[in-house]
Amino acid sequence: MAIITIKGLKYRYPNTKVNALTDINLEINKGEFIGVIGKNGAGKSTFCQALLGIVPNFYKGLYAGEVVVCETKVTEVSISDLCQKIGLVFQNPFNQVTGAKDTVYEEIAFGLENFGVPRAEMRKRIDRSLELLDIAQYKDRAPFDLSGGQMQRMAIASIIAMQPEIIILDEPTSQLDPQGSKDVFNVVKALSEQGITIIMVSHKMEKLAQYCDRIMLLDSGKLLNFDIPQKIFNLDNLKSIPVYTKVCKKLNLKTMGDFPVTLEETKVRYDEQIKC
Amino acid sequence: MWSLKLSTASWVLIPVAVGINYIGKMIAGFLKLPLWLDCIGTCLAACLGGPVVGGLSGALNNILYGITLDPISTVYALTQTGIGIAVGYMAYKGKMNTIKGGVLTGIVAGAVAVIISTPLNIIFWDGMTGNIWGDAAFTICIANGAPVWLASFVDEILVDIPDKILVALITVGLFKSLPQNLKAIYRPAEILADVEDF
Amino acid sequence: MQSISLYENKNSFLNGLSPATKALYILTAILIPIILDYNLLKIDFIVISIILLITSKTFKKTYPMIFISGFLLLTIAIVQGLFNPNNITPILTIGAVVFYKEGLLSAFEITLNILNLIFSISILILTTKPSYIADALVAKGLSPRLGYIFVSLFLLVPQITQKLSIITDAQWSRGMETEGNLFVRIKAFIPLISPVIMSSFMDVKERSIALEVRGFNSTSKKTFLNEFIPNRANKWVFILLIVLIIISIILRGVLWLL
Repeated sequence: MAIITIKGLKYRYPNTKVNALTDINLEINKGEFIGVIGKNGAGKSTFCQALLGIVPNFYKGLYAGEVVVCETKVTEVSISDLCQKIGLVFQNPFNQVTGAKDTVYEEIAFGLENFGVPRAEMRKRIDRSLELLDIAQYKDRAPFDLSGGQMQRMAIASIIAMQPEIIILDEPTSQLDPQGSKDVFNVVKALSEQGITIIMVSHKMEKLAQYCDRIMLLDSGKLLNFDIPQKIFNLDNLKSIPVYTKVCKKLNLKTMGDFPVTLEETKVRYDEQIKC
Repeated sequence: MWSLKLSTASWVLIPVAVGINYIGKMIAGFLKLPLWLDCIGTCLAACLGGPVVGGLSGALNNILYGITLDPISTVYALTQTGIGIAVGYMAYKGKMNTIKGGVLTGIVAGAVAVIISTPLNIIFWDGMTGNIWGDAAFTICIANGAPVWLASFVDEILVDIPDKILVALITVGLFKSLPQNLKAIYRPAEILADVEDF
Repeated sequence: MQSISLYENKNSFLNGLSPATKALYILTAILIPIILDYNLLKIDFIVISIILLITSKTFKKTYPMIFISGFLLLTIAIVQGLFNPNNITPILTIGAVVFYKEGLLSAFEITLNILNLIFSISILILTTKPSYIADALVAKGLSPRLGYIFVSLFLLVPQITQKLSIITDAQWSRGMETEGNLFVRIKAFIPLISPVIMSSFMDVKERSIALEVRGFNSTSKKTFLNEFIPNRANKWVFILLIVLIIISIILRGVLWLL
């Protein structure tokens, strides 16, 4: 069942002469883990923002087509109405801290307070997201005293507490150290396993190949391809591919016509090769 | 222009404005400049968000100052509100795009500051401002038999008018260098995209 | 990164009073001397405030405030003592300089006003968490967005000043001149402030979106995670202050009739 439907989406920022997004048509099903890849300026962030109606409600500009999320047309409701169904986490963890709260616990409460969630329910939801993100030990710390990775997990916890059906993550690991980045991926995987629909922009191709059901390839605002990781990372012109695929290409190790894209596949294929 | 229902992007300007006011004051102190330069943030926020954002930034600036450093400065929130509203209005009329308009805005903002601050100075400080040059002028006036209100007025003019003109000019320069896509969030009406080939 | 709020929870009596009661105390300290038209009453309020601040272990935090105002007060005393237009009675002579009683009295009154204000306002700001002030106002109908902005200042402003220190170091290592004649110093102003401004404004877009997706503009009625529960004395202190104001008004009326 499609949870997101996009038809003929076209968008241009104010004061610019080229479209940031052109003729996007796609459907995303409930519970899918979708990866979004593409060069800088390909329109990845704009795409994420279109899903929440930030484009065009916040940035204005020229807009055509329609984006329907959870049976709601995003242009017809406010971002605040939509964010209970669809959450957004982005790059810079600092800018996601509200600055009005003294502790991590209170910080996560911010969104719930705004929506008038009763106090008992609020505490229950905060405890659950703290546990899920494995940051319960920091709950009394000041938000700005956390490390980047911890702060990013707090940002995700703040979104999770609002119990959205879809979570969009726009390069959530690009400013984190390897450990922080690994933690975030583990969390996202856990969320996906709970049935939450995930849309994640990332440059960590190995991780995307491992976790994603499907991957979108954007270029100059156009959707070039939208397919399972095996198909996407076997495209001829794609430069950024998982390191395993690169190795297999060098060694010419194919499985059923395609190069493996994950460590597991590579290992299976390699073992076969050894036996031969 | 006068709508009290602010967008999120307008609200978010306020902490930035207050932060910039703080560093303006810090740098002016650090460079031992004889001016305050403590409302650049308010003026920039007013240019982007309009008179309401400007006024709120000015008010909250002094309330924060009052709570964290000097309770008496809270009453000068009135002055800062006036400056924010004046600059926001002038910017809305397109005056903050040129140097000439900037000087004019500086004079208007300075005049507003003088009119609001002088009575406050008389009530709270017997007419003095705490600025060496202004207070020296005040003393000379008083010593020569001028009434307190006049001496205080002269004191304020000497302090505020040059300060606000310089602040307005700095703001014109900084406002010009802010990225277009940022301005577009606040002034969508002015930014008409090329529709033909969309 | 620390908040710049001067509040600290010391579990004191004043910590347990509601923001409204403490605001009413400020009003009382200002109003009663005016109603009764008796300046020396301010001394009583100053003493009461100081005792309350000492017992709640926050008196030390008023030192910087006193220092800031003290310098200006000293200037006022000198200028008024020497040049006040009403000066008639010499009281102190240092060499050729003569201080007059009228001017010094005027400066003394100003000093009482300022000290009364500083200490009574300190009762509120040194013993009350900023978010409790905001929550109390929001519950009374203030825009929750304005309440948020007010509280966020305490953490976000130091974030911006921190950026300045990074940039100052960078500009120094590039050999920027920050000393010399006035022109040199004014010229140094722009390269110091503009990087902070640009980077702070770049954050504005992301921060707005981050707030939007957490219901900043929600029209639902807001709830609060924490609830401030005032101590038992709060109600009685509030009533006492109201009674004091009423008594002083009645007293003034009686004095006027006599």
